[in-house]
Amino acid sequence: MLKYLARRGITYLVMIFLTTSAGYFLAVSTLKPALLEQERIPRPTPEQVATSMRLKGLDPELSPWERYVEWLTAIVTRWDWGRSPNGAFINAEFGDRVWISTRLFLASIILTLIIGVALGVYSAARQYKFQDRVITSYSYLAYIVPAPIAYFLVQLGAININETVGQRIFFVTGISTPGMEPGWEQFVDMLAHYAVPTIAITLVGWGSYQIAQRQYLLDNVNADFVRTARAKGLTRNQAITRHALRVSFIPVAQSIAFTIPAIFAGGFFAEKIFAWPGVGSWSIDAISLQDVNAATATLAYGSVIFALGAILADFATTLVDPRVRVQ
Amino acid sequence: MSSETTAGPAESTGPVERLHIAGLHAATDAVLSVRDLNVRFNTENGVVHAVRGVDFDLLPGKTLGIVGESGSGKSVTSLAIMGLLPATAEISGSVRLKGRELLGLSDKAMCEYRGNELAMVFQDPLSSLTPVYTVGTQITEALTIHNPTMSRQAKEARAVELLAMVGIPSPKDRLRAFPHEFSGGMRQRVMIAIAIANNPRVLIADEPTTALDVTIQAQVLEVLHRAQEETGAAVVMITHDLGVVAGMADEIMVMYAGKPVETGEVDEIYYNPRMPYTMGLLGAVPRVDVAEKTSLVPIEGMPPNLLHQPTGCSFAPRCPLVSDACLAGEPALAPVAGGVQHRAACIKAESLGGADVDVQDVFAAPPVPVSRFDSIPRTERSTVLQLKDVRKHFPLTRGALFKRRIGTVKAVDGLSFDIREGECFSIVGESGSGKTTTLLEIMEFHKDQDGEVVIGGISNKQAVDAKTKSAMRRELQMVFQDPTGALDPRFTVYEVLAEPLQNVGMDRPAIRKRIMELMKLVGLQPDHVNRFPNQFSGGQRQRIGIARALAVNPKLVVLDEPVSALDVSVQAGVINLLDKLRAELGLSYLLVAHDLSVVRHISNRVAVMYLGKIVEIGEVDRVFDNPRHPYTRALLSAIPVPDPQLERTRERIILQGDLPSPLDAPKGCNFATRCPVFAALPPAKQEKCLTLEPPLEPVAPSAATQALEAAPVPSPDQRFACFFPDGELDEDMLVVHEPADHHAP
Ligand SMILES: Nc1ncnc2c1ncn2[C@@H]1O[C@H](COP(=O)(O)OP(=O)(O)O)[C@@H](O)[C@H]1O
Ligand code: SF4
Ligand code: SF4
Ligand SMILES: [Mg+2]
Repeated sequence: MLKYLARRGITYLVMIFLTTSAGYFLAVSTLKPALLEQERIPRPTPEQVATSMRLKGLDPELSPWERYVEWLTAIVTRWDWGRSPNGAFINAEFGDRVWISTRLFLASIILTLIIGVALGVYSAARQYKFQDRVITSYSYLAYIVPAPIAYFLVQLGAININETVGQRIFFVTGISTPGMEPGWEQFVDMLAHYAVPTIAITLVGWGSYQIAQRQYLLDNVNADFVRTARAKGLTRNQAITRHALRVSFIPVAQSIAFTIPAIFAGGFFAEKIFAWPGVGSWSIDAISLQDVNAATATLAYGSVIFALGAILADFATTLVDPRVRVQ
Repeated sequence: MSSETTAGPAESTGPVERLHIAGLHAATDAVLSVRDLNVRFNTENGVVHAVRGVDFDLLPGKTLGIVGESGSGKSVTSLAIMGLLPATAEISGSVRLKGRELLGLSDKAMCEYRGNELAMVFQDPLSSLTPVYTVGTQITEALTIHNPTMSRQAKEARAVELLAMVGIPSPKDRLRAFPHEFSGGMRQRVMIAIAIANNPRVLIADEPTTALDVTIQAQVLEVLHRAQEETGAAVVMITHDLGVVAGMADEIMVMYAGKPVETGEVDEIYYNPRMPYTMGLLGAVPRVDVAEKTSLVPIEGMPPNLLHQPTGCSFAPRCPLVSDACLAGEPALAPVAGGVQHRAACIKAESLGGADVDVQDVFAAPPVPVSRFDSIPRTERSTVLQLKDVRKHFPLTRGALFKRRIGTVKAVDGLSFDIREGECFSIVGESGSGKTTTLLEIMEFHKDQDGEVVIGGISNKQAVDAKTKSAMRRELQMVFQDPTGALDPRFTVYEVLAEPLQNVGMDRPAIRKRIMELMKLVGLQPDHVNRFPNQFSGGQRQRIGIARALAVNPKLVVLDEPVSALDVSVQAGVINLLDKLRAELGLSYLLVAHDLSVVRHISNRVAVMYLGKIVEIGEVDRVFDNPRHPYTRALLSAIPVPDPQLERTRERIILQGDLPSPLDAPKGCNFATRCPVFAALPPAKQEKCLTLEPPLEPVAPSAATQALEAAPVPSPDQRFACFFPDGELDEDMLVVHEPADHHAP
């Protein structure tokens, strides 16, 4: 099992390296930060621009290959991901933003999974009853409505609550109030900032899990092996909980591989709307600011998330499907 | 269970009927007693009356065989007894297990009986076990449910004992295996182990061997037999194959359109059937043990739609003896004079007894067709297809990113045979023996193939341009197993048949004329050409498939399991048609079928394949009557024949294990791992089997014939690949049932 995961891990590392390298070449040959620099007022001389770029390690005179080797050497030897055209260090900037993004999405992903699967099972057990219809219709709605619109609606709702109560309970933007003393106050402040984005992302996210889990369970409720279990002397409900449920988790566990990257990838909407300066919004900015190193770093981050999602999915699948362990 | 389910007679029926049912139940010591069982399903299209008045009594230790075609209500009957029907089913009547009423019990109350006194084995072993639990867990669960106090060790010991009983080697280790690590036959054994875990009084087996190969079917039937002996359970054996139950049943119930139409002691049913449907069924199945050729009895039409309550005899639309009286009310299941508990639902039952009733006449079976080629010696006919040393090896690789070759699957390994004009040549063997791959290789017709394929004089080695290939395609056409999948539902029959004709550049009027001809040829009404495939029954669809293959006048038709998807009564009609077409049009067939009875019936020559090689080949009657290769012998012995007396006494060879993976194909004789002769050989001779590959050699004419004739006798058309064809068979693999076991009451 460990060997299996280790092998998968190495495969993913190779994959991350390849996508990141390819991304670097693409960025280096399309993004031209020097052009932006020239639009500054007072307009710098081309020599000034070149010098400033060279100092930041973004020498446009060098060939893409030379720049790639330089960039890679810095990462491998010093874990230095380079600098932005404005002089900022990628490592420092990235460090802050990764932490912000992760905080924003981690809670939502876990909640999405748990609520989605639980509601899927619940609605499958009440197929075509009132509860099922309400829950499943909601899921389809959440599926159809574009995420940014849903986020706005949640934001509006939170504002409404604040207004109704006449007191600011939720923060609808930002990650924290600056200048808080550590302690209880800060914790409450954090919750007040977290609540709205987390709820918004979760509300939008669980629908697809609920639909999938409900369908997989219903597919298995009348499976031959459930009939066998009943023929042994289990009631229908016992047979379903002991046999069908576990089998129906397998495809859901496998789908984690795609859902986690998807939540992160769609994350820049949430980051923009709730004004959380995370990686998602940064990646958009990086492209508009012709920032080669930042764009590549966000791409590397994306592939890491993808690999993490896949590894987690492998892990979850192994947990529910013992057959994988045997191989 | 639904609230509509009637709790036995007490709620749904009036006092008179209640007395009636109580009276019917009276005074038997039956373990299972079913009275007037009716099951209705409310569907979108209306009420389907799936089971109509099933009655039977099952005595302890006895076996009841329920026989019928698909859709006749066999499974619904068994599920109703088990209380496993969906809530939409409306069930009425009475089911008593040792005198206690089961109908109307709640799901929870039924659980006390299910898996305990009442157990069941289902049809499809591949999907019947939960994929994520080990085999051991699933057996132990059955024990835990009914014996909560049993210790873990005791349960494990019992599970090992059960696995050993059903013949799983090294049972202790196999407890930890998952179902997907087992073959279909092994999984069915596990299902049987689960069913007998708590020593049931009644064991219901619903088509337990239908999905399995004949050799594995023989093994599983043997396991069921042993399980019954061990537990003393009464068995309800459900099947569509009259051969399967002939040897094991004490009584038979034939079902048609949801209703029992004939019941009685097994010999009565097989040797003295009184209901035309039963007679037809018995005449419709070819016999693997009979050489004499008669046409099969075709039962025209198809089973009725259960949405409509029949007004007369439900078999009337297909019955050759139908008269007006048959349409006035459904005939009741009435005792047949002189029979032992023999009852039949036919108003003419009395007149159908006796030796002078010939089922061939009753059903107007066509005369045996004679081909103009039959009188010409085989060697003088031209060759339509020839294979010379054809091989197809698949590399077996492992690893996702970097593929490593870990071996070779020799799916087809050095095949040579030829087919002459006007003959039917068949390939038989277990699934995985390479039959389908052989057909694919023939259809491939590419010059880079390993080996030579010659079709109508054109060799694949010359097949460089598209013209040669299309010439070859015209010589050879294919009919597929699944008639529904092979026909595009969006095209009318006319369009389906016109396509190959347009491809050869025929003009419209000619196409129209040819299509009308084809429809008549395959026994379809020409004015149905504008219908879509789904408006035809399975048998008719297969006829359309045949018509399409014949459209361009091929010399050779390749038939891949042409009747295995069809019900027996329909199958007979298609087989007769194939027979007729071969004779009338002088066609040659290459047939692949797993049903050896069908093969014997329509073939002239046969090849038996094992792991990609031909192990025996020759004239069909010679090979079937005097098989020389131990595998052929085992294969033939595995086929149950619809003849109870013969079945009860005959000796059968039960091969051990499954077809080995083609990967570990041994060096010498492929068959050595399962060979019953090999197992009984002294080590010195075994060495020969293990090191040398037996060549395919002709059967030597017997010394007696040699002596009589002055000139050397040409060797008969039969070759086989075995060093010790006359070797004794290993006793462990031979089974003879004690006649006393199954003496009918
Ligand atoms: N594409 C393939 N790759 C690997 N093995 C194959 C492939 N196709 C067939 N085989 C193997 O070849 C053997 C013969 O298969 P097949 O021709 O389908 O037999 P049959 O028709 O008797 O069922 C089987 O062991 C099968 O697994
Ligand atoms: S009752 Fe009439 S139609 Fe029915 S089986 Fe008998 S003869 Fe045929
Ligand atoms: S050669 Fe040996 S192993 Fe092979 S079939 Fe004959 S007796 Fe059996
Ligand atoms: Mg096949």
